[in-house]
Amino acid sequence: MKSEASHRRPKRRRLRKRTEIPSKDSMGCLPEELIEAILVRVPVKYLLQFKCVSKNWFNLISSPEFVKTHLNFSANDYTRHISLLQFREDIKYCSVSSLFHNSVSEALDLDCPMKNPPQRVYISGSVNGLVCLADGFSGLVLWNPSIRKFKKVFGFMPTQMRECWSKCGFGYDEVHDDYKVVGIFSSMIKANFEAAIYSLKSDSWRTLEDFKPGVSYCGEAKFVNHKLHWITFRRLRMHITSIDLVDEKWGKLELPSYNKGRDLKLGVLGSDLSVLFNYDERTHSDVWVMKEYGVKASWTKLYTIRYPENYELSPPLFMYTKGEILLAFKSTFAIYDPKNDSLTYPEVPNVEVTGFYNRIEAELCIESLVCPDLPSED
Amino acid sequence: MSSSTKFLTLKTCDDKKFVLDEAIAVRSQTIKNMVEDDCVSNVIPLPNVDSKTMTKVIEYWKKHSEEGISKDMLMDFDKAFVKVHHSILHALILAANFLNDKEMLDMMCQEVVDRIKGKTPEEIRKEFDIKNDFTPEEEEEIRKENAWAFE
Repeated sequence: MKSEASHRRPKRRRLRKRTEIPSKDSMGCLPEELIEAILVRVPVKYLLQFKCVSKNWFNLISSPEFVKTHLNFSANDYTRHISLLQFREDIKYCSVSSLFHNSVSEALDLDCPMKNPPQRVYISGSVNGLVCLADGFSGLVLWNPSIRKFKKVFGFMPTQMRECWSKCGFGYDEVHDDYKVVGIFSSMIKANFEAAIYSLKSDSWRTLEDFKPGVSYCGEAKFVNHKLHWITFRRLRMHITSIDLVDEKWGKLELPSYNKGRDLKLGVLGSDLSVLFNYDERTHSDVWVMKEYGVKASWTKLYTIRYPENYELSPPLFMYTKGEILLAFKSTFAIYDPKNDSLTYPEVPNVEVTGFYNRIEAELCIESLVCPDLPSED
Repeated sequence: MSSSTKFLTLKTCDDKKFVLDEAIAVRSQTIKNMVEDDCVSNVIPLPNVDSKTMTKVIEYWKKHSEEGISKDMLMDFDKAFVKVHHSILHALILAANFLNDKEMLDMMCQEVVDRIKGKTPEEIRKEFDIKNDFTPEEEEEIRKENAWAFE
């Protein structure tokens, strides 16, 4: 092989064609740091197979550090995002990149760990690949659909409140590296509210102080900026009430001033809190985003989405780099493209689009190795 | 090219010398640090990289430093660039790692991933020269734990 030492000026552009005689038919040994750099890019399903390559690989793939690195990698790669569609008793999933790029996407059935729920199963949030499922009563499950592992959470009902109905939110406390569920309980008999927080690390519930009674918590909780958020209604005024999962303090955020629609839904777009206003006529909806967390003036209207039928949109699930957003509409997915103000429906053959008013819930989830059911070490 | 163009001489482990525009060579964070710390004498030794691999690396660096090259052209170049034999890919990964060129390393790692996705553990062991140190029982146990992933 000729070296380039004689070339004073690096001008040569033509690529040199070389034919190599393969010395052997494999990559050969690589240092562990490089094996790790490769494996963080491997999708979860293959990693589970690769666990039986060797003890070294098993330990690497199982280590909490690797799980975290892999998660960070997946969080920045939208091909590692799946969207969950929640039906009455079952949950289907669909790859987000397929919805944007393929003409036909397949929704696959997930074996939902909650069997025979009293009414239906609610996805109460998803963070780091873990999904919180609740049945509105005492059933609660933390589930990672990409590794198919789940943990049943027990003791999910304040003892003095029978016949209780609950709403919950799910998020991650980065400081204590802990997953937490906040449950808001209300008695069906008398107006009695209570809030409690569950920590996965300690596997226990605690009552939350300073919980204001008389506030109604509407819709699902959304997790942004280490806090859970609900739209709340008190004395005829709407706000966003938050709870910080690190210091467990309650807080309040203002909604955008422009506020015509009365049907509001919180969402998360990227790492920002968003609000969807569904207009009463149900012909169009506005999507707002809080660009700077906690700053009321930073609420920005991103889109007005017009749609032909008398249905509600779900809050945006995901924004693709070109600005298109993924939402749920009727009982399937829709993609709104702001460039030509169009709403299209990716073809998902095995999702039945119901004709009558039957809204489904959808949630975005990252593929991850985070296991909800690890024996606690400390 | 401006008159202030500086050249660096890189010497690979097999004693071949490469003279390269400094502006291109500093795509390597390792070389950049040496230049910035002013510890560059006449020749920069690259004890971990052979000339065959370095030629490939320089080919990549030059293409990615070309002025006015379109994204599509770079994508086509990259696609063709990674289509090399396993042993060269291996050498390029080690070189990109030593030279600390993150962009190149990321691309090479992704290529390895594309090659190993869907391979059986047995094939993976062969690919990376790994000895199976599990007993058959232990391996079976791990397989059972995630049986669905093998379907």
